[in-house]
Amino acid sequence: MFSEVELLRTVIMLQKNLGQDKLASQRCIVTQLLRRLSMEKASEHEGYFLNVTGLKRIGKGQAIGRSGYTFFPVKFTCRTFMPVPGETLQGVVYRVCRTGAFMSCGPVNVVFLSTLKMPGYHYVAGEEPFFLGSDLSKIETGVVVQFVVLAVRWIENVYGRKELQMLASILGDNLGPISLCEW
Amino acid sequence: MSGEEEENAAELKIGDEFLKAKCLMNCEVSFILEHKYEQLRHMSEDPLNQVSQVFEKSLQYVKRFSRYKNPDAVRQVREILSRYQLTEFELCVLGNLCPETVEEAIAMVPSMKTKGRGLDEEAIEKMLNDLSLIKTFE
Repeated sequence: MFSEVELLRTVIMLQKNLGQDKLASQRCIVTQLLRRLSMEKASEHEGYFLNVTGLKRIGKGQAIGRSGYTFFPVKFTCRTFMPVPGETLQGVVYRVCRTGAFMSCGPVNVVFLSTLKMPGYHYVAGEEPFFLGSDLSKIETGVVVQFVVLAVRWIENVYGRKELQMLASILGDNLGPISLCEW
Repeated sequence: MSGEEEENAAELKIGDEFLKAKCLMNCEVSFILEHKYEQLRHMSEDPLNQVSQVFEKSLQYVKRFSRYKNPDAVRQVREILSRYQLTEFELCVLGNLCPETVEEAIAMVPSMKTKGRGLDEEAIEKMLNDLSLIKTFE
């Protein structure tokens, strides 16, 4: 789900990098905030950051000892994408393997639909494998699938990889591959 | 997996953040991100270089999965759905998925049928009829 949320971040600035006056300082702080969010990309509880929409408040700066750094608490609004378990979303299949299908959904690159969660479908091997349903519908590369989010996982590793991943299910009504003409 | 085991959108257990936040439909986000992209296009020869992968993938997603393309239609959809006792989250799910029947709507947003909500099948049917009219005349 896309939403506009209020977030709080701490921006650390070198005192010498702050501008001469209040306006210039604000500009420096906001620039640093945008830089930080751009590097952060996403967080476990807030999802993916799309863009900052407004600045609510820059709190009073607090110097960190004699380090020359000051930190500022900044409250702002931001558009985010955060999937929620139980939510119905659409994804595009980009890889099919024996255990299931991988989809992308917006900024989320890994949405896994296990064979255990696609009843009535069986795997058809080949150069371009796919899943064939009892109603002759196909789940193959490029197909749009309407699914329900089973679970969301946050991945953060030492190589700097930070992302959300989802487990999907098409158990239920109105779930499964969607006719191409609809989308 | 998610540490918040009680999170379940079907029961509207979606955490305080979502209950307080303003949720946005895909079609609304599409206009916002398109506008931003156009601004970047005017400022730079290669706007794709200026946007993050998150922005680009989100833009592709909302452009593809927006049910309404006309800004007036989008405004009307939100206005109509706001007349019913829906949370922001439920409103956006309905606006994104556009169910055609009452059964579909309840399957997509089971929380609407929670006791005491005051949303009977007649009200849901009327809501869906109003939405389909917008789609017809868009």
